[in-house]
Amino acid sequence: MEIIIEEISRDHKLISRHKINKNSIYLGRSYQNDIILPDPHICPEHLHLIFNGENWLIEDQGSINGSYLEDGKTSVRNHMINSGDIFSIGKSLIRIVYTDHPIEETIQLSTFESLINIMRHPLVLTFNIVLFAFVSGYIFYLNKLTETTFSQFLAPAIGMTLIFAIWPAIVALASHFNKHEARIMTQLGISFAFFNLLWISDILDNIINFNFSSSWPVSDLYSLIPMVLAFCLFWLNSSIGFHMGERRQLIVAAGITVLFFGGSYLVKITNKPEFSAMPNYNATIMPPNFMFLPSSDVDEFLLNSEKLFTKVEKEIAKEKKKEE
Amino acid sequence: MKGFITLALVLASSLFSHISVAVEQAKEIFKQLAPSLYQIRLIDKASGEKSSIGSGFQISSNGIIATNYHVISGFANHPKKYRIEYLDHLGNKDELTLQSVDVINDLALVKRSTKVDMPFFKLTQQIPMKGQELFSLGNPHDLGMIVVPGTYNGLKKESFNDRIHFTGSVNSGMSGGPVVNVQNEVVGINVATSGNQIGFLVPHEKLVALYKSFQREPPSNIQQQMSEQLSQNQNKLINSLLNSPWKNKVLENAIIPAIDVSYIRCWGDSNADKTNALFFAAVANCSLDENTYLSSRFFTGSIEMEFRYMQAKELSTNKFYRLYEQQIQRAGPNNKAGKEDVSEYQCQHDIVMPSNREINNKSIFCTRGYKKFPQLFDVLFLSASIDKDKQALISHFTISGIEQSPALAFTRKFMESVAWK
Repeated sequence: MEIIIEEISRDHKLISRHKINKNSIYLGRSYQNDIILPDPHICPEHLHLIFNGENWLIEDQGSINGSYLEDGKTSVRNHMINSGDIFSIGKSLIRIVYTDHPIEETIQLSTFESLINIMRHPLVLTFNIVLFAFVSGYIFYLNKLTETTFSQFLAPAIGMTLIFAIWPAIVALASHFNKHEARIMTQLGISFAFFNLLWISDILDNIINFNFSSSWPVSDLYSLIPMVLAFCLFWLNSSIGFHMGERRQLIVAAGITVLFFGGSYLVKITNKPEFSAMPNYNATIMPPNFMFLPSSDVDEFLLNSEKLFTKVEKEIAKEKKKEE
Repeated sequence: MKGFITLALVLASSLFSHISVAVEQAKEIFKQLAPSLYQIRLIDKASGEKSSIGSGFQISSNGIIATNYHVISGFANHPKKYRIEYLDHLGNKDELTLQSVDVINDLALVKRSTKVDMPFFKLTQQIPMKGQELFSLGNPHDLGMIVVPGTYNGLKKESFNDRIHFTGSVNSGMSGGPVVNVQNEVVGINVATSGNQIGFLVPHEKLVALYKSFQREPPSNIQQQMSEQLSQNQNKLINSLLNSPWKNKVLENAIIPAIDVSYIRCWGDSNADKTNALFFAAVANCSLDENTYLSSRFFTGSIEMEFRYMQAKELSTNKFYRLYEQQIQRAGPNNKAGKEDVSEYQCQHDIVMPSNREINNKSIFCTRGYKKFPQLFDVLFLSASIDKDKQALISHFTISGIEQSPALAFTRKFMESVAWK
């Protein structure tokens, strides 16, 4: 009668799998056994599995540390095995299944897989990294108050790119340590593609802040976009680097996003002074060809200014109430 | 050579004799007036020590003493924390009560208790002549009462609220002390100094007005009185500004307003000397030279306007706009105010094109309210042109302690006065 014996790790990951066609199987540390387990806490002759014509029985052979059904308290003696039972012997775990044990349904390759493969392509990867470096350098050039030469903004461009490459490297390293494939190129490809999307979202953010008046709350809504982008990046990172369930993947990606944005938000509120004498206004301006909305007139502007006075009065009244 | 020495000796002796005459005069003045002259002290109740000092002088037989508002402002703002005390020429001390203030002219009336009619300073009937000799009295740096001789130099030019320009040293601690003519009549009150022999006095008629209104009807609430004075003064100022001619002035390729009033003074600067600058910039800054003291951490009544013209040299439009954007990031108030005085700023922005002018601006308006004077606000306006690739004009003003409707009226006029040439 055929039986499958799997050696699994504590978190139930498969270490090795044996399919044996015998009616009597010995497990232990000595070399006469059918299945040889190297765990020093296992006795040389530890376990015996017998097929009695109907069922498989498991019998501890008087080992020092015993054999237990995963959560069981007493060592197994002539125990009837159900398919999928997990036994702990020494510090190791084994799982026993029959050939008719049900298996999970086939998972379809996700549509992202093709996207991921495109991003990994050397040409696309190089393009994304170069684009990222170019934008970093260009921003450095825009902010510099003096004349700049090409070589002057090469250094910050490369520096910035290397700093941003740390994230995919960390993810790849982490998945390597978790006994998964590192897939560093894929991680780099995906990460830089998203970093570039973040640049684009930055530019869009500027255009919105520049064009819309403060009476439109679009810019507040827009601040969600980088969060969504970051979430997607973290989700893809974990989907490439770690094989986990979909729910778990969502939780992990959401967790990192919250940690990242929540953390920076926390830092912002703790650093906020109790009172600021400086006005906090949005002074985004862009060259004329980025303007796509018609201008308001003075009347409309003054009407909106008038509302501010009422807002300030309300604020003071609220504060007074709080003090009382 | 001998001739020179003789000349020098003659000059020196005449100078000495002049000084000795002045000293004699000063001594005489001091002797007569000393009983009506006081040191005014603000005593911190908790520690029992004085937290600030100034001078004051009696102006009525029943114990009314005039001093500067800024000498007793601590009490006006925190009556529970302080008490006001006087120290007379004999070393007697007693408590004073605050009767009335004029925050605009930095005056205050306090009262000592007295059972008998006391001697007091007479306020002059006539305005002094330029060059006339005056004597400033007070207690500088807690050194004891002194007399400082000096000259009347007329009213300070370019001031909205009159101040006498006095040539003579007015030192801190002399604030609130009287300045008298040779007839021992008060012509002004020490209020400020600009260093080296330049002092400023509040003209006596401001004190006369305050005292008369006090005699008619003493104020029931000092905060209320201050509030009314602040509103009235700022409304007068803004009305005067709005009703004065706004001339078009050229700032390189832009037209900016120049308000034709003497009390707004303008200064200019440019970076034309910096040949390696990436853009050319010229700035004109106009402001009112005075403000109103409310407390050591809270000033109001200021007006400032600033215009900055920028032109890119060999610069891409993108980079020019980036640098331009950095120029408008950090506009702030030009008056000092703290958490207990004002709210935080609320701001709004939009792209605005005035119907009568050829310019398209990103305009920002911010305001914050006064906690103790509910009808008053500080406003800040900032506008940046966004319709030229290589040229930019920033127009900006701040006004402190203004009511809503004059603030909006001023903003409208300001917005409609800025344009391209």
